Amino acid sequence: MRDLPALDPGTPNTRSPAGYLRWIAGLHRGPLLLGMGYGILCMLAPALMPAAIGEAIDAGVGARDQGALLRWGAVVLLLGVVQAVAGILQDRSGVAASLGAAYRTLQLVTRQATRLGAALPKRLSTGDVVSAGVNDVVQIGGALEATGRAAGAVATIVVVTAIMLASSWQLGLVVLVGVPLMALAASLLIRPLHRRQGSVRAQQGELNSHAVDVVSGLRVLRGIGGEKAFEKRYHAESQRVRRAAARVARVEALLGGAKVLLPGLLVVVVVRLGAQHVLAGRITAGELVAFYGYAVFLATPLRRLTDAVDRFIRGHVAARQVVRFLTLEPEAAPVTGRARPHEPAALADPVSGVVAAPGRFTAVVCASPADADALADRLGGYTPSTVTYGGVPLHELPLDEVRRRVLVTDNDARLFSGSLRTVLDPAGRAGDAGEVWDRALDAASARDILEGLPGGLDGVVVGAGTEFSGGQRQRLRLVRALISDPEVLILVDPTSAVDAHTEARIAQRLHTARGGRATLVLTTSPLLLDRADHVLHVDAGEVVAAGTHDDLLADPRYRSVVTREEEAA
Amino acid sequence: MTLLPIASAKEVRSYARHLTLRHPARLAGVLVLHGLAAVSGLVAPQLLGGVIEDAGHGVDRAGRTALLILLFVVVQSALVATAAYASATLGEKVLAALREEFVGNVLALPLATVERAGTGDLVTRTTRDVDVLARTVRQAVPDTLIASVTILITLGALVMTSPLLVLPCLIAVPSLWPATRWYLARAREGYLRENATYSRITESLTETVDGARTVEALRLARRRLDRADADITEAYRAARYTLRLRTVFLPVSDVSYVLPVVATLVVGGLFHLHGHATLAEVTVATLYVQQLLGPVDQLLFWTGEIQVGGASLARLLGVDRRRHTAGPGPGPGTATPAEPGSLTVRSVRYAYRPGRDVLHGIDLDISPGERLAVVGPSGAGKSTLGRLLAGIHTPHSGSVSLAGTSLADLAPGELRHHVALVTQEHHVFRGTLRDNLLIAKADADDAELTAALKTVGATRWAAELGLDARIGSGAHPLSPAQAQQLSLARLLLTNPHTLVLDEATSLIPPGAARQLERSLAAVLEGRTVIAIAHRLHTAHDADRIVVMEDGRISEIGPHDALVRQGGVYAGLWNSWHGRVTQG
Repeated sequence: MRDLPALDPGTPNTRSPAGYLRWIAGLHRGPLLLGMGYGILCMLAPALMPAAIGEAIDAGVGARDQGALLRWGAVVLLLGVVQAVAGILQDRSGVAASLGAAYRTLQLVTRQATRLGAALPKRLSTGDVVSAGVNDVVQIGGALEATGRAAGAVATIVVVTAIMLASSWQLGLVVLVGVPLMALAASLLIRPLHRRQGSVRAQQGELNSHAVDVVSGLRVLRGIGGEKAFEKRYHAESQRVRRAAARVARVEALLGGAKVLLPGLLVVVVVRLGAQHVLAGRITAGELVAFYGYAVFLATPLRRLTDAVDRFIRGHVAARQVVRFLTLEPEAAPVTGRARPHEPAALADPVSGVVAAPGRFTAVVCASPADADALADRLGGYTPSTVTYGGVPLHELPLDEVRRRVLVTDNDARLFSGSLRTVLDPAGRAGDAGEVWDRALDAASARDILEGLPGGLDGVVVGAGTEFSGGQRQRLRLVRALISDPEVLILVDPTSAVDAHTEARIAQRLHTARGGRATLVLTTSPLLLDRADHVLHVDAGEVVAAGTHDDLLADPRYRSVVTREEEAA
Repeated sequence: MTLLPIASAKEVRSYARHLTLRHPARLAGVLVLHGLAAVSGLVAPQLLGGVIEDAGHGVDRAGRTALLILLFVVVQSALVATAAYASATLGEKVLAALREEFVGNVLALPLATVERAGTGDLVTRTTRDVDVLARTVRQAVPDTLIASVTILITLGALVMTSPLLVLPCLIAVPSLWPATRWYLARAREGYLRENATYSRITESLTETVDGARTVEALRLARRRLDRADADITEAYRAARYTLRLRTVFLPVSDVSYVLPVVATLVVGGLFHLHGHATLAEVTVATLYVQQLLGPVDQLLFWTGEIQVGGASLARLLGVDRRRHTAGPGPGPGTATPAEPGSLTVRSVRYAYRPGRDVLHGIDLDISPGERLAVVGPSGAGKSTLGRLLAGIHTPHSGSVSLAGTSLADLAPGELRHHVALVTQEHHVFRGTLRDNLLIAKADADDAELTAALKTVGATRWAAELGLDARIGSGAHPLSPAQAQQLSLARLLLTNPHTLVLDEATSLIPPGAARQLERSLAAVLEGRTVIAIAHRLHTAHDADRIVVMEDGRISEIGPHDALVRQGGVYAGLWNSWHGRVTQG
């Protein structure tokens, strides 16, 4: 088996779902062809088994020929061994092809997700992308894997048909017509069952979400004491699911009965006709046993074939989803500008008049949170604007250059899981440099988080840091931003969930930790504002006043924004 | 993080036994039906043997035999259907009881236990383990039952046909038995690991997609791709391991299935050549042995599944409420205090982990109607004190009592009519807006609900939605501010005389805070309030302020007194606010 994942997933054919499937199947031609070969062997062997057993009974037992008995016995055994070996080989090539295809598709989906970047959330929900990356990927692999079985099923049906028609065309026809009829009848019966099963699954899913709801709301529930009411509601819903499941069980049971009845009827016909043939000397007893065997056996390749067709259809649907995602284009064409301002430079937003200058700790007070978000998006180059960096319009700079120099960290910034070291320093900038870590951890007042986590920096953070409190997550984001050490750091409400004691410490150390670089904080917290070199008051999208926190406090409008309780009192 | 406990194998067995014996008559009925179905399935080969034997002698009884086969096929299908239905309804009954018991246990879990373990583990148990168990009860158990019954009865029929011809079957045992044992010992672990690698892939991709903006901001694209490749490498390794297991096991088992057929055929044929067996006996025995293979394969297959189901059951039973009665939590008391009385805390100590006290002897008296603010650095024990005051945790030593009655002695339903805890966490439960409110007061009428919504200032959006609107995850989403108003409305309905607010408004965006503070003020009206605050402006309006440091009360008194005193609180206040008052 080859080495996976592939270093480069390659460039897929994204013109159509079928094209994508062809492309990915072409890449795994070898295992696919092998798998089909093994699939044929693996399915033919058991198909020939009834004939071999029949021969053993006729030529060996019936004819009282010990040599023939042993020979045919050996043939049966050989068929068994061939089936076993071909079976596992088919499994192996199927897995190789399906995993190869699945992993490659996953790589492509991940690449596309990172290529779309910040534009992604606006285009598709997380659920859609993850479903493409996980479920659809598995379906595409499954479609490839089904080829081996499909080939085996087709070959078997052909061969068995030939054998039966050769020994008795009448009986052969009965079986040939009977088995597909049976399969058709079963599939007609099974369709309403699938619908009902689907609805029970949906109800069960609903019930599960209900239970998960209990778990995630447990703390809230404890605060107000609604446990009894909840238990009652869950009980009622659970009983509803039980009744629905029992109704499905009734249909299922009928189907189970039909699965016995339908082949049974065919067997009755085969035995009735076969016995006459045997009596008339047209077929032997052994051949009758073989026919009996085929009547029971043929259902298997038929089921595998319909199953494989189903897999192909699902693979096609999945490929459509994947192709749709892979053909999404980023909103704006990547900026191709080549300008490079001298560093360090000032980041300026002419619309509002806000400037983040090198070496300066600037604070911006926005009357409305929407203003703050819009300002941060403009300064970070996330929305089209006239913002300049070192006098050069931001949109004339290469995007990667903008991201390297300007970092916006808001409270939606995602923490990734992994060791705390990689969570805080995902780009591996600080390495083992103790003083970089010390400075960032002290400035964000985050040492206690480190000490609280078993293993410290090497401790593992799961679930994107959800185990941390809101305030702890804010401080971790701050550490990460400080370590990445951009020329301009823009922090949106960085301490809104931190207690006053800790906030005071952060405000005191933040400036020093940034050294000579530009820092811009969007906040209404007096503790931070008091430490800023320069405070800008933005109202209705424009700077209306500037100065130190002390200076600005004389302005009643400014006071009302930064000291909310004054108004409430 | 410590995970929730898992029941031992012995407990699982005893519980399974107890479950099985809960409905003895129905279980016996199911077994008998399956047995009869299996018996009727054996008739056709027997009759076919007869036809062949007759044909050998030139006798034509095929018409009668075919009719007989038809009769038995009809009987068998009827029996199979009835048996399947009977076992399915029984299974569903057991399953419903299991999950209801489980959710009941989850609801009774002490909060401290949940917090120590985190909700992730509990969510997995609630979804994955319940589903796995459903699969086990719906498929594995009945199919195992059917397979076992069928094997026994087919073997019985084989003995009746020709006792000698049972022996060749045993040829499979020396290879099948050890191979199966070897495989089952490794397969479960292997497949669990393989599944876990899929979860990792999902998780990483979710992070990449969810955090797409952050990935771009910090230029992490390359690292996310490497991460995906690392996940794939891991998944591939796990998949190859299970493939290796199959590569060893499946050929052995497949060949083992053919061996008895060959042996019966050859040995039976030799017997026939030496006059020990008739042609019919050999034919029938060979067909029976072939019929045995299916159920044996099923039995082996489901054995693995049942092991997995057992593991899930162990995890569900681990949440049994009886395990946790020793832990802290509201006791099963029956007392009702005189109200409204004062809340008294006497030399209270509390530890989340033995030997590591978070509170070191707290004494505090709160009189009815008082507004108390608790401030201090994080980790000082503010929230822990709040939970003790709300009766969520019970102190390890010392007492928290209301009008002389210890909170631990209150009846479970009684406690919340006296004290309730409001946290920054708000949760909208799945269901209608009405359901969400009725949690707090089951017998409230619509007028009461509307009045509560009005008091918290939620009239507008609540009227737009209507009480019957479905809200919560997967339905109409509420904004954080609306969700917080909803939880405040619940509080009004619960109507406790004392409220503990644990940083209740801290996560609210500043824009919405002003309106919510008004809603909150309406709820606080006329109640005793203990507010745990990290923003100082909530503290300064309080009647008294408690400053906590390192699990002790370091300062206590009204705002002005504390500021005059010039201690910790005064320092903080000055840095935070001093300049405003000067200005």
